[in-house]
Amino acid sequence: MSVLRAAALLVLAGFILLPLAQTIVLSFTATLPHDGTLEGSFSLINYRNIFASPALVDALLNSLIYVLLNVALCLAAGLPAAYAFARYRFVGDRHFLFLMLAFRLTPPVVLSLPIFILFAQFNLINSPVGIALVHCLFNLPIAIWILESFIRAVPREFDETAFLDGYSLPGFFLRHLVPAIAPGIGVAAFFCFIFSWVEVVFARILTVTAGKPITMAINALFTFQTDIGLVMAMTVFSLLPGLAMIWFVRNHIARGFTIRT
Amino acid sequence: MKSHDNRAWLLLVPAAAVMGFVGVVPLVTVLNFSFHDIFTLDSLHWVGTEWYESIITSGRFHASLARSLLFSALVLGVQLPLGIAVALLLVRAGRAGLLMLLLVAVPLVVPWNMIPIMWLSLINPETGFAGQAMAALGIMFDYKFTALHTWMLLVVMDTWHWLGLVVILAYAGLSGIPRPYYQAAAIDGASRWALFRYIELPRISSALFIVILLRFVDSFMIYTEAFAINAGGPDNATTFLSLDLGEDIKGFSYGSAAARAMVYFLIVLSVVRIFVAVTDHRNRQRPEASA
Repeated sequence: MSVLRAAALLVLAGFILLPLAQTIVLSFTATLPHDGTLEGSFSLINYRNIFASPALVDALLNSLIYVLLNVALCLAAGLPAAYAFARYRFVGDRHFLFLMLAFRLTPPVVLSLPIFILFAQFNLINSPVGIALVHCLFNLPIAIWILESFIRAVPREFDETAFLDGYSLPGFFLRHLVPAIAPGIGVAAFFCFIFSWVEVVFARILTVTAGKPITMAINALFTFQTDIGLVMAMTVFSLLPGLAMIWFVRNHIARGFTIRT
Repeated sequence: MKSHDNRAWLLLVPAAAVMGFVGVVPLVTVLNFSFHDIFTLDSLHWVGTEWYESIITSGRFHASLARSLLFSALVLGVQLPLGIAVALLLVRAGRAGLLMLLLVAVPLVVPWNMIPIMWLSLINPETGFAGQAMAALGIMFDYKFTALHTWMLLVVMDTWHWLGLVVILAYAGLSGIPRPYYQAAAIDGASRWALFRYIELPRISSALFIVILLRFVDSFMIYTEAFAINAGGPDNATTFLSLDLGEDIKGFSYGSAAARAMVYFLIVLSVVRIFVAVTDHRNRQRPEASA
């Protein structure tokens, strides 16, 4: 029985690793004839080419900027909302949560056209602020759900003691609540980071001439004669921030994801 | 016990403002567009429900809807049982299980447009590992022109991409089950199935609720991956709902695109509404199961 289990785990690991291994191998292979390297041989040329291209380095930075901005926005707007849901009942609370669920589940393609028109009027095209804002559409509900479940686990007396000590609500949030639910903040930040990092539809339509994210920079590499090794090297780079995030939240990743409506 | 206080709405102001700007306003705009014929954005012509009528009665819409539903059914049918089984395996595997949990999470952090590129390289018969292996075994895998192979590739690729989400959320519920529950079940001589049905399943049901919704919607509206693999081919065999919408937008047919978007939104919304109602109903019948 335990042999069967080990075999199942090995098959699973192989299934997950195979496309990743393919990507990594190709990223270290010269796939187009370059000076001094034989096509198909081991080479670091793809990684050198990334740093030789300002457009690719810029794309990496653009992606990082809007993703971090999105995480900050979701936490700043999500924390008070999560606190409201965790501690109070009020008129329309269930409707608000259902609306959140509905927007989280609305496919980006459905809203892509009006969002482009709306954002063009507010000068939010080609700007990291625009992408960071629009990614709140699916990340803010997630942030609220995760934070709410962590806040609910904190006893009410915790809040009351702080208020008796004379803390205002913002002071209480920053000095007491945030440290108390630090793992929850980490998990919420993780999911917001990931979903913003991997999203393509909005990131594409909102960057017309500048501010291209890494995903679009990779798409632009596809030409008549695509250097697939370079594409794969960029893909490896696009994986690194996500891998780092997985490592940071490894002890909390499987916690606190209860969705209420 | 939560207290009743309508001033809590003040705490929702930032979240409501953001969601209003990126959610409600665009949605109302789509609704407005869907009743108009649009040449440029300055000249809208009211056409009433004409777009809706032509979409809902078109055979192409029915065919795409059927394909999208089939794809969602396949995705849920494969990923849900597989994900739960893997989570059950990992919970008992200790330290190695935790490492595997991190490994199955890795595909989740791959940008969506990279996933088809990775898989197409993998099955490339000249340079890909899987492609070379299949060629050596004499298997003709032709995702370009054989519809069945395109479908297989899409389902396998989507499973690779999303299995981690099912596993993580199921694992979270399972790892919280206190050991005495299992001991009590062992003393009662409970079968493996009974253990799963009465102890494990109730603990993961709330996590499965969101997994089913997320996987349904994301597979039902799959766009980036499906378009990159075969652009809806061969012969429209993988033209899903979202690909039709993408075509409308690319063709600057904004009125029609808006009506199509509204139809899709309403389909998704009704499925969610029904699902929430059914779960609420079940939770009220068996309150202990919602814990």
